[in-house]
Amino acid sequence: MFKIIHRYMDFLPATMAVLFLFGQTVCDLYLPTITANLVNKGILQHDFPYIIAIGCRMLIVAGLGLIAATVNVFLASRQSMKIGAMLRSKLYSKVLNFAGQEMNHFGTSTLITRTTNDVVQVQTVMFQVLRQMLRSPMILVTACVLAYIKAPRLTVIYLITLPILTVLCLLVLHYATPLFHSIQGKTDHINQIFREGLTGVRVIRAFNHEDHEQERFDQVNRDYTQTGVKAYSLVACLFPAMTLVLSLTDVGIIMYGGHMIAFKTLNVGDLIAFITYTTQILTSFMRLSRMFVSLPRASASAKRINEVLETPHSVRYEPTTTDASQQTTSSNPETGQSSVPAIEFRHVSFRYPGAERLALDDVSFKVPRDSTIAVIGGTGAGKSTLIDLLAHLYEPASGQVLVQGRPVNSIPANQLHHYLTVAQQKTVLFSGTVRTNLLKANPHATTDEIWHALDIAQASDFVKNAGGLDAAVQQGGHNFSGGQRQRLAIARTLVANADIYVFDDTFSALDFQTDANLRMALATDPQMKGKVICIVAQRVATVLNADQIIVLDNGKLVGCGTHEELARTNQTYQQIMASQLKQGGGQHA
Amino acid sequence: MHNGFAPHLRQRSKAEQAQNFWGTTWRLLRYLKPWHWLLFLSIIFAIAAVIFSVSAPKILGQATTTIYAGVKRGRAMGASVSQWPIDFHKVGHYAVQVLILYGCSAIFSLLQQLLTTQLAQRVVYTLRRDLKRKMRRLPVSFYDTHDHGDIMSRMVNDMDNVAATLQQGLIQIVTSAFTFIGVLVLMLTISLRLTLVALITIPIGMVIVGVISPKAQRLFGKQQATLGTINNQVEETYTGQQVVKLFGDEKREQERFEKGNKQYFNAAWKAQFFSILVFPAMNFVRNLGFLMVAVVGSFLVAQGQLAIGAVQAILQYQEQFSRPITQLANLANVFQQTIASSERIFAILDEPEMKSDTVKKAQPAQTSGPVITFKDVKFSYRPDQPLIDHFNLDVAPRQTIAIVGPTGAGKSTLINLLERFYDVNAGKILLHGVNTQDMTRADLRRHFAIVPQETWLFHGTIMDNISFGHPGASAEDVYQAAGLARADHFIRTLPDGYQTVLGEGSTEISTGQQQLLTIARAFAANPEILILDEATSSVDTRTESLIQAAMDNLRANRTTFIVAHRLSTVQNADQIIVLNHGHIVETGNHESLLAKGGFYARLYNSQFRHALR
Ligand SMILES: Nc1ncnc2c1ncn2[C@@H]1O[C@H](COP(=O)(O)OP(=O)(O)OP(=O)(O)O)[C@@H](O)[C@H]1O
Ligand SMILES: Nc1ncnc2c1ncn2[C@@H]1O[C@H](COP(=O)(O)OP(=O)(O)OP(=O)(O)O)[C@@H](O)[C@H]1O
Ligand SMILES: [Mg+2]
Ligand SMILES: [Mg+2]
Repeated sequence: MFKIIHRYMDFLPATMAVLFLFGQTVCDLYLPTITANLVNKGILQHDFPYIIAIGCRMLIVAGLGLIAATVNVFLASRQSMKIGAMLRSKLYSKVLNFAGQEMNHFGTSTLITRTTNDVVQVQTVMFQVLRQMLRSPMILVTACVLAYIKAPRLTVIYLITLPILTVLCLLVLHYATPLFHSIQGKTDHINQIFREGLTGVRVIRAFNHEDHEQERFDQVNRDYTQTGVKAYSLVACLFPAMTLVLSLTDVGIIMYGGHMIAFKTLNVGDLIAFITYTTQILTSFMRLSRMFVSLPRASASAKRINEVLETPHSVRYEPTTTDASQQTTSSNPETGQSSVPAIEFRHVSFRYPGAERLALDDVSFKVPRDSTIAVIGGTGAGKSTLIDLLAHLYEPASGQVLVQGRPVNSIPANQLHHYLTVAQQKTVLFSGTVRTNLLKANPHATTDEIWHALDIAQASDFVKNAGGLDAAVQQGGHNFSGGQRQRLAIARTLVANADIYVFDDTFSALDFQTDANLRMALATDPQMKGKVICIVAQRVATVLNADQIIVLDNGKLVGCGTHEELARTNQTYQQIMASQLKQGGGQHA
Repeated sequence: MHNGFAPHLRQRSKAEQAQNFWGTTWRLLRYLKPWHWLLFLSIIFAIAAVIFSVSAPKILGQATTTIYAGVKRGRAMGASVSQWPIDFHKVGHYAVQVLILYGCSAIFSLLQQLLTTQLAQRVVYTLRRDLKRKMRRLPVSFYDTHDHGDIMSRMVNDMDNVAATLQQGLIQIVTSAFTFIGVLVLMLTISLRLTLVALITIPIGMVIVGVISPKAQRLFGKQQATLGTINNQVEETYTGQQVVKLFGDEKREQERFEKGNKQYFNAAWKAQFFSILVFPAMNFVRNLGFLMVAVVGSFLVAQGQLAIGAVQAILQYQEQFSRPITQLANLANVFQQTIASSERIFAILDEPEMKSDTVKKAQPAQTSGPVITFKDVKFSYRPDQPLIDHFNLDVAPRQTIAIVGPTGAGKSTLINLLERFYDVNAGKILLHGVNTQDMTRADLRRHFAIVPQETWLFHGTIMDNISFGHPGASAEDVYQAAGLARADHFIRTLPDGYQTVLGEGSTEISTGQQQLLTIARAFAANPEILILDEATSSVDTRTESLIQAAMDNLRANRTTFIVAHRLSTVQNADQIIVLNHGHIVETGNHESLLAKGGFYARLYNSQFRHALR
């Protein structure tokens, strides 16, 4: 919480806010002093002109108070909302730039909650801090001082009351804070189960797991409710306890003050003023206590926000000195030296955090420009990992990945997509329309370009059927079949403008006919001329004609060459072939 | 434009204004009904607490008056007395009274708050439970057509709003209203004239509230709407974060976000400003009243028409008197928001449900006839686009049926119908001769285990994920199923083996490995009918053939549906159904279909034509 205040608070307006708050507080507190004079001098001495004069003074003070308060509210609301906006945009850009590792570490749903819900919690409390939190101590101090001026000896009573109140507040804070922390964690849990119910509805229903889901949810819900009841009950005790202390103080003042009056050491007006001060001190304590409800929750939220903001990026950008010169040559393969490979892996090794074995182990290969490469290998061999390293979603443990002769970590993240574009293995579509989805890859694409990409991806037929580019794409693209979703994702990749196009097993849901047509279109399309195409696949038929096939097994590169070479010499490749030829119509191959 | 067919929930942008304020309020209040005695008691306690605390300042004022009386008496006696003759017996008496009053008030307000906490938390518990239950009764089509981000936002943010209001707002209305009435009554008993003076401030206050409040409310509406927009964007781009990154879209998304964020900021600070401004403004009005009471009171006291304690008491009441008005104004805002939030929650609760199946209890008997029969089935997702029509199919027991066809042919749709994720428009599907519509969905689904086209695993251990379909499964069963699905090996190489916890999206394992787990999950369920929808599309062919060999061994005692594009997978099927545009084009086994040289043969041979360039 304090970190956030320290980092994101604009100190000038914040200080101003506090100053005006102080002004308002002084005005608020000055009024009883004037009232005391009114009683002591005006009423007791029947001095009517004095009463009028003092009335005017009261009016001025009240007016000043209003002005100060207005300025304070103005500054406080702007400042707190600004902090909220700043946190939100910081979080957003941080998360957008997260590498795979950080995304996996947190998980999507908690990141969403942190960016939306937690920020709102913090900004709300920030306002309260600027408006109330400081006001209460200020009232406390000012009221004590004013009270002391009025009747120094009566303030002795505060010496008993205030410590009691402080201890009360601290006790409640002490016991409530952990409860509120745990509430925030439980909110996450409830949300996660509910979200799983949304994403997994088919599986949950198919396996008749709904009762169990409901029970799981009810359990967390109950748990959350119980913690909530505990936390709020604790806070509920504070208010009545304070009322009691207030009454004791009042009685003490009346008794003690009465005696003082009797001995002529106190005026009746001062006694009235003193009681008013006491009421104000105690009200401010109560306001403070009400904030104890939101403060622990907000500080839990602040902590969660800081966790995200302070996560170091596992993927680093290291500009090299030759940056500028290389950029001009390499972004255009036509003019670049053709000797520089389009993709190069130099002894790349990679291990996922927490994993025992290497996901990629000393992988080296080169891909010349204007060629087609294929990556083949068993399930979990490391194909997607290789692609992710190429796209710089992860940082290799050792070795170097180069694109167009440049190390990927010297290419700024927002430039990399000019070099290469990837269709990922798991299709992600956004709700919206076909057009909005495709424009994600290239906002400047014309309608013709979009249709052309759809044509190559063999998607134009069903898109036309669905109603053209403005056909709705619903949640996760669920109004399209698995293969149709995949083709939309392929088309999206083709809309992008890059030198290297990567398809990570994105033909898996296509039937052979469509698959073949698609590859045919890719191979013959003029737009694809001079580009590097990299296909990850399982079927030998798909990779057959690639200029170079990379065979991965258990994270190791076990073969690299053309189909003919590998079919002759590479054992792993032979096994893969065998598994497909055995059943897959050996007579044709 | 085809947005028309998607039954969208009411859009966020309109959501801030409650459509049917009183209807929704009434409905929300009905949620309190099961705990009406709790509510009743807490209202009683709240009133009691108010009465006690409200009358205390009056007594305190009487104590002051007594002291002042002593002073006056002393003055009358002349300045010679060393000590004013104050009646301390009487003052002490009042002091005890004040103590008792405050004590009672404290006890009652404690009880009230404890009850309210119970009430609020229970109501929200019920609301949350009902929402989850409702989700259970909604058809799969609801899930397919509604943004998860939006539903989650209702579950999280709107629920939060309702909870906060119930916790703090509800009783505050009662307290505020009764404080107002109580204070008014007491002020009247003290001094009619001073009360009238104090009352002058009310119209002024009303005007101020009337001017500022609607403004704040409008701004709040704008704030919530813009917040909804930003939240939607967050939900969307975080879910597809890698896609955004891979296309270098971060900057544009960030710009779009900044724009929304800025709009939000502009609306939010103004909303905050105006809604809080009411308080200092009312404070000023209160001070105005304070002033008038003091001045008029002074005159009255000076003229001997009023006791000094009465002025003090009225001054103290003056403070309590204006606060409820401010609070009520503020609560009106809060309630508007809460009702709008409840309305969004109720909108989901009002969604049309699936046909209930509680009354149907038909149980299929094990007959010798076909296991599954499709009879004249007609179905389409959208009325304007017919998909499946006059579909007929008989499946003999213990057969392996392969469904092949181009993408979008309707293969997954058939499975949707079989599992009753969607219901047929016409015709019927029979299981052992019983119409599946006459069975409960749970009974029907007990016969099946499915590997859906889209992999889904939940946040939990691998062990729990595999035993998902068979909750009583022993560790041995799980190992066996994993072994059959060829998942055992890779699971054992993980540092935590079967106890490895999969996170959201199970990114800890490769896509193919995820698919192996879903296959293992189906195997562990050991069903009568196994449905594989592209179950091995991301699995390498070596592993696939091993799985197939394992399945072939088990084929003897179960009926299997296989949807696959890799025709190698379907060659051994007893019956291959070739589907195109929702119609059966041809049926037969691999050899006969190849010999026929039709659609299947073309499809089959296409895998060897023009491979990569
Ligand atoms: N929820 C839905 N709403 C509207 N249309 C849908 C929906 N689901 C599928 N469709 C449409 O119905 C047709 C058949 O879809 P289905 O998912 O059955 O195809 P499929 O044969 O399984 O294809 P694939 O091999 O690509 O998975 C497709 O044209 C698809 O666009
Ligand atoms: N985030 C992760 N944390 C830990 N281990 C991981 C993670 N992602 C992948 N792995 C492991 O790294 C290995 C390689 O995974 P990768 O996704 O690259 O496989 P793949 O070749 O793409 O397989 P598939 O054909 O199934 O997609 C696998 O054994 C997998 O379990
Ligand atoms: Mg992969
Ligand atoms: Mg399908």
